[in-house]
Amino acid sequence: MSDSSGSSVTGVGHLLRLVLRRDRVRLPVWMVGLGGTIVASALAVPPLYDTPEKIAGYARTVGASPVSYLMSGRQAGLDTLGGIVANEISQVAQLGVCLMVVFLVVRHTRAEEESGRAELLRSTVLGRHAATFAGLVYGVAAALLIGAITTISMLAAGLPTTGSLTYGTGLALLGVTYTAVTLVAVQLSTSARGALGLAGAAVAVGYLVRGLGAMEDNALVWLSPFGWAQRMDAFGDERWWPVVLLLGSTALLLALAARLMAQRDFGGGLLDTRPGRARAGWQLSTSFGLATRLQRGLLIGWAVGLFLLGLLYGSVIPTIPDLIASNPEMADVVGVGGQAAEVALVDAFLAYIFLFMAVISCGFVVSSVLRLRTEEEAGRTEAVLATPVSRTGWMAATTTLALVAAAKLTVIMGLGLALGYGLGSGEWDRVLPQVAGQLAYLPGTLVVGALAVALYGLLPRGTGLAWAAVALIALQVILGQLLGLPDAVQAISPFWHLAAVPVDDFEILPFVSLLALAAALVAAGLWGYRRRDAVTG
Amino acid sequence: MAVIELHDVVKTFGTTHALDHLDLTVEQGEVHGFLGPNGAGKSTTIRVLLGLLRADSGTATMLGGDPWRDAATLHRRLAYVPGDVSLWPNLSGGEVIDVLARMRGGLDEARRTQMLERFDLDPTKKARTYSKGNRQKVALVAALASRADLYLLDEPTSGLDPLMEAEFQEAVHELKAEGATILLSSHILAEAEALADRISIIRAGRVVQSGTLAELRHLTRTTVIAETERPATAIGTVPGVHEPELHGNRVTFDVDSDHLDAAVNALAALGVRSLAAHPPTLEELFLRQYGEDVTA
Repeated sequence: MSDSSGSSVTGVGHLLRLVLRRDRVRLPVWMVGLGGTIVASALAVPPLYDTPEKIAGYARTVGASPVSYLMSGRQAGLDTLGGIVANEISQVAQLGVCLMVVFLVVRHTRAEEESGRAELLRSTVLGRHAATFAGLVYGVAAALLIGAITTISMLAAGLPTTGSLTYGTGLALLGVTYTAVTLVAVQLSTSARGALGLAGAAVAVGYLVRGLGAMEDNALVWLSPFGWAQRMDAFGDERWWPVVLLLGSTALLLALAARLMAQRDFGGGLLDTRPGRARAGWQLSTSFGLATRLQRGLLIGWAVGLFLLGLLYGSVIPTIPDLIASNPEMADVVGVGGQAAEVALVDAFLAYIFLFMAVISCGFVVSSVLRLRTEEEAGRTEAVLATPVSRTGWMAATTTLALVAAAKLTVIMGLGLALGYGLGSGEWDRVLPQVAGQLAYLPGTLVVGALAVALYGLLPRGTGLAWAAVALIALQVILGQLLGLPDAVQAISPFWHLAAVPVDDFEILPFVSLLALAAALVAAGLWGYRRRDAVTG
Repeated sequence: MAVIELHDVVKTFGTTHALDHLDLTVEQGEVHGFLGPNGAGKSTTIRVLLGLLRADSGTATMLGGDPWRDAATLHRRLAYVPGDVSLWPNLSGGEVIDVLARMRGGLDEARRTQMLERFDLDPTKKARTYSKGNRQKVALVAALASRADLYLLDEPTSGLDPLMEAEFQEAVHELKAEGATILLSSHILAEAEALADRISIIRAGRVVQSGTLAELRHLTRTTVIAETERPATAIGTVPGVHEPELHGNRVTFDVDSDHLDAAVNALAALGVRSLAAHPPTLEELFLRQYGEDVTA
């Protein structure tokens, strides 16, 4: 930040103290949640791979599988314990550190500005760039802490010092780079939600580009900060020059953010400044119409994002046979040879992708349902409930919207997969199986959405628990096996009960049971909302 | 017939007694001023009436129904302006007005146009770009553009400039002429004085005074300023006279309304050169409610 020296960052110390005071719970939760997961995973690996044969086997099978390439990239040193640990924790650690800085930085920059609270602060002795600078310091510090926790947990797992340091540094700098990305995003959008969307999309693009590059083993990985961090090749050749890419892009992004900041008005942005309509369209005549309108951006964003994700995953399916051809041992693992091995591997890939995308769509359904809470806290629900719209009517409108949209998104993901597969292979006969396969996981998503509904109705101050549930489910899906979680714990995830289509045959009983559970949770939420105060602090 | 009848209503939030055995009656067709300082319980009362909050105990009737149980039905007949107006940031002001009015069951097109003009509001701007005063105008237009039997207005003029305040008062007179009942919560005394038929003063969750302006004034003092030929040195001994101040032949004092007669007679005996008396302003009433212990 070349021009942010001197008086333009006056008061940053006060701001940082305020940030820490406001996040005295939130920051430790991120550290314990994300850091703790990394520690547990790192310590879980060595006992599982306790012989040279097992370690060598990992490099040829698990680490070389298409899912692994796509989700975790091509990790160096997979024939060492360090490489295995790095490969196992990469997905959670890298995505986790990026999402963490996105949420934390937006919360203390654009969200403050949008709410008007920042105005109060800006009227005090505070430089123009102080808030941005405080966001930078905070994001960087959080990323460095996660990096340090990771390095320490690797050392505690008995891994080599250089590799542990390299990996932790790459992870921290990835977080630093996305802190800078987020600081640009908060200059562009006038709403915190918009900034979260932009920065979140940047995380997704970086992650997917790296995955695609790793899958095809091409230069695409060098277009992504995820790739730069990974190609420091911790536990392999260990090169340090990708640090230049990470820090260089950070510096450029920060310069851009400072420039945008200097040009725009307080509260303004570069997007979202069009005037609106003088009259409401006919859709805006019911509470369902209003709920739909309020969530329009969210719906479109998720639909486009999940369709592209499906498209991408679908398009890599046809490359799976190549992986088998280049790695005969893979067929041994699958237990069958030739054509059957291909089918088995594709099925395993699909089952994982279906599950993975269903878990991602939980993020949508929770944020969609919890708009109820946002509206209530902002005092806007009051205006709606002062009209003849009943509580049940208002809550049912948003709930219906969220759950139906989750079903639509599921179809969209399936169509994306089918289209991607068709484009890659030229075969178009898999559309139905892929849409049906994705739908087989829908009840899990609906249960999570219904849990958010129940929390909103019964325990409005505890709606954050719905996000905790999403985090737990993601953890179970990604790391459940590695961590050796007992069945009783894994059973908390609704997806754990569903048949792993298409590897396993579809089972109707868990499917219907979860739908019934979702219905019961929704009913409980509606019941609770009818009885409680509609205005809570 | 009473449109609003609250009896012995209690509402607590944790250890805070927001409403502490509150009684409130609003009659059909009146403009009822609901006065009290910040935090006295005005908004809480209105939210109980809207069925947004459930009273812990006591009875509440509004428009002949139970505000909690019959909320949705009763809301067909009322319009509301919240105390703290928050609008959907990505909707325009015009859209917000339409959406609320349609949910309420219809919109008077002519009134909508008239109100937009009257309050000089641009309906095409996105709500996030409105100033506080303009957000308030959106809420006002949304409420006043629908026809309702009862209007619940929670500090409706906060953030409005004096010109707009005058427009608002005009609009309230029109609604009253049409026979609507209006509950007007405020801490702006001049506003209640100009508009209200009856007034209730709320303090710490209970109504401490209620009545017409005349009745309330009757309970209080008139300020008298007089110049007499001989100094009114003994005026302080007249029953009901308070705080006499003597500057030569000029005297000012407050007198209980019941004893005005005796005080004026005492002055007359001294030879009155000039006499000015004004009834207590609401301001003085108000100060008295909050400045002294009023339990007596």
